[in-house]
Parts: sequence; C-alpha cells; structure tokens
Amino acid sequence: MPRFPGVIAHHSEPIDPALWKWLSTKIDHVLGLSSGVWVLMLGAVIVLFPVVVMVLVWRRRGVSE
Amino acid sequence: MRNDRLGLDGSPKKQGVYYGWYVLAALFFSSFLAIGSRQGFGVFVKTWEEDWGVSTAAISLAAAIGWLSNGFSQPLVGFLTDKYGGRPVLIISLAVMAIATIAVALISNVFGLIVLYGFVISFASGGISPATTGVVIARWFDRKRGTAMSILIAGGSAGGLIVVPFLSYVLIEYGWRVAWIITGSLTLGLGIPMLLLVVRSKPSDMGLYIDGEEPSLNEAGEAEVVVRPVGPDFVDKWKDALGTKPLWQLSFGYFVCGITTASISVHFVRWAISEDITTGTAALAFGLLSAINAAGVLVVGMLSDRLQRKNLLGAVYLIRGLAFISLIVVPGHQAIWAFAVIGGMSWLATVPLTASLTADVYGVRNLGTLFGFANMSHQIGGAGAVLLFGWAFTRMGSYDIPFAVGAATLLTAGIVSLSIREKKHSVRYVQVAPEGAAVDDAISSAKDKE
Repeated sequence: MPRFPGVIAHHSEPIDPALWKWLSTKIDHVLGLSSGVWVLMLGAVIVLFPVVVMVLVWRRRGVSE
Repeated sequence: MRNDRLGLDGSPKKQGVYYGWYVLAALFFSSFLAIGSRQGFGVFVKTWEEDWGVSTAAISLAAAIGWLSNGFSQPLVGFLTDKYGGRPVLIISLAVMAIATIAVALISNVFGLIVLYGFVISFASGGISPATTGVVIARWFDRKRGTAMSILIAGGSAGGLIVVPFLSYVLIEYGWRVAWIITGSLTLGLGIPMLLLVVRSKPSDMGLYIDGEEPSLNEAGEAEVVVRPVGPDFVDKWKDALGTKPLWQLSFGYFVCGITTASISVHFVRWAISEDITTGTAALAFGLLSAINAAGVLVVGMLSDRLQRKNLLGAVYLIRGLAFISLIVVPGHQAIWAFAVIGGMSWLATVPLTASLTADVYGVRNLGTLFGFANMSHQIGGAGAVLLFGWAFTRMGSYDIPFAVGAATLLTAGIVSLSIREKKHSVRYVQVAPEGAAVDDAISSAKDKE
C-alpha cells in the first residue's frame, strides 16, 4: 500500500494516517479527554497566539504615535 | 532587546522590543498554519477513501503532485519576493491557500482534491516557505540571523504538533468538510489580518534599521546613513551567482537533504515493518525524533550566530550520515532508537543554516530566488529518492543498499559543506566597499526610504 510521508517530513508533507491513528489513540488513552475538549483547548492556542501578537503590535504603535 | 533610537527621518523613536521580533512572531504563525494544515492532509485519507470509494493510491497522487507543485513554486515565489518584497507575496499566497482550503469542503471526488490540494494549495503554500519567510527574516535580522531563522523553522514543527491533532479532533466531532472550512477560516480570519498588521518586507518600511541599529549623529546632530558592509560575492542579479562555487556546494547539500529526509519520511515505517518492529514503536520513535529535532534546530540556530555556519552544516550532514549507517549496522530494534536520537539532532537544522549562509554569501537582494532554487532541488531530490528507495526495496527485499547510498550521499554532503570557504566568501568575515547595485544592500534601508 502506498504510504504517506510521516510526521518528520521536512517541509509540509502530510502526516502518515496509520501513525496518526495510533498516536491519537494513545493520547486519548493517557489523557482521557473528549474530542470536544481537545478542539476547544487546541483551538484556543491557535487563536490566542496571533491575537496576543496583534494586540502587542497595536499597543506599541499607539505608544509610538 | 529594548531600544530607543532615531528613525530614518532623524526623529527619536521609542521602540521597546525590536520590531523584527514581532515580524518573526507573525511569520512563525504563518508557517505554523500553512505547514500544520498541509501536514493535516494525512488525517483525512481514511475518511475520503470511505466517502468517495477510492484507493489510498488515488489520494496519494494528489499528495505527490502537491509535493512537486510546492517545490516548483519556490523559485517563482522567491523571485517575486526579491522583486516586490515579502509582504505582498506572503499575503496573496496565504489568501489563495485559505480560499482553496475552504473550497476543499465543497469537493466530492479525487479530481477536485488533485486540483485544489495538489496544485492550488501546494503551489500557494510555496509562498509561505523559507524562500519567502526566510527572505523577510534575513532583511530584518543580521547579527541574530541564524537564531531568527531557526525560530521561524520551528514554527512549522509547532504547526505539525498542534494543528494536526486539532484537525483530527474537529474531524471526529464535526466531519471533514467542517475541518477544512475551519482551517481556511482561521487562516483568513487570523493569518491574513496578522500579516497585514504586523509584517513589513524590510525595516525601512517602518523607518527602522536592520537589527534595530542606532545611527550615529553627525556634528549637526543629524542621523548619519548606516552603511551596511557587503560581502565579496554579493550579486546584483541572481544569475551572477550561478558561476560561483558556494551556491553549488550549498545546493548539493540541500539536494542530499531532500533525498534523505523524504526517503525516510516515506519508507521508515515500511523499513520498521520489514524489521518486525511494530507501528506503535515506529510512532514513538518518530515522536522522539520530532522532539529532539525541535530542540536541535533552535540550538544549532543560536550556535550558528557564533560559529562558522559551514562547520555546523557539515557536522549536521555527517551526523545524519551516522544515523543512516546505524540503520544498516545496528540490529533493527536498537537501530530505530539510535536513528531517532542521532537523526533527530540533524533533521531540521539544515534549513536555517543553508538559508543564512546563502544570505551571508550572496546578500539578501536575490536570496528568495537563490534559496527558492535550493528548495526546488530539495523537493526534486526527495521525490526521486522516494521512488528509487521503493524500487530498490521491491527488487532487493531490503533497505540496506538504499540506506548505504543515503549514508554515502550524506557523508559527501558533509565533506562538501565543510569545504565551503566561508571566511573567504561570507560577509561575516570579509567586507568590501560596495559598488554597483550592491550599494542598495550596503546602504541598507536608508536608500529604500529615499
């Protein structure tokens, strides 16, 4: 079966689906969080980072002006 | 990192943290989103197979086309970055990528996937690669260029660690169409505004100097123009670099880098299975390798601002060569861990070192085009190696010969990299009086401002 490039790919090649399935099963087993909680937690990280950077730049421009 | 100084117009500017770090943060997030969402493609394969009734091979075709599209786009986006600046190229690329990502939610067959993912998304994502982001960073940072480049590259790794699981759980909760809509919407709603607000192609666009340098004052109390040193091989046109040795030495190394990373990415699991190693152990080894390489790239980046970059680049290739040798000489169950540890130290570190060294030798004027070609050679080497490793395994029933070839190419790349005469070519060690169009680089941002 043709495989997909794995997680260690150098640029942005897709993750190997078999490896990801195994990894996500292990993560779920160890942490026991529902997928809804994961969506919220990871989504918050993704949203917060740029918001914080934009706020800092906004404030900085306000100060310098 | 705080600085209060004069701007290009001579007026005092209270700057606080050097603005280049904000630019780096924005590009970190762009790489995080672009690379993370592209890596997330693999999460959807099983679902598409079931929904569309197609084979893995059919979906693999979209991924393979995407790999090559991404490679071939990089000299072009690099050239555009050199000509028009990184900001417009980044914004347009990310916007195209975001819209095409949302459009994936509307498709219902592999043909649509090939068009949208294989061609449009993968081509556009070349505009969020080191050929563009690296050029912007090279224009903002000089003294800490290696450190900044390595942080930028780590953004892609972080994307894989966070965006991939995020997409996976969205897929479970809401289905694959919603996952693609959310990804595209996050890119449109956060990535684009952040690029618009934060990123400028070069410091002079904000009245600043590279590294946040402070211009000295003349007797009249006016700011003097900061004249940046230029290297002996700084080129006016990218074609001028083709006749010089360091470009080919760096490109050869990067070509080998593509051969060895792509072949392992695709064939590592198959090799593990051939050695009676379970998928679970292979996955754990991948995890260890990823963790080590994220730390390794940051350490190497910081060291590269203090040591000769070519020595680190050579060492990285030689260490990766040792990792390949371990796959042949060490028994399978130990080899997988040896490879994870030794290979992990070298996996990503080639990118900031090659980009920084290219900028040091040729200047930033044509960096996008030159590094774009290096990236293309990386992808072509990778695509060829994946096919050849697969062919060799099918013919021989073993990966020993392909791994030996990989080790030989890496050892050669190590020696070639070490043979680069950095102290003769790099602006870090040799500065000459600027002439011709190199004056633009020398006067740095000041000339652009006028």
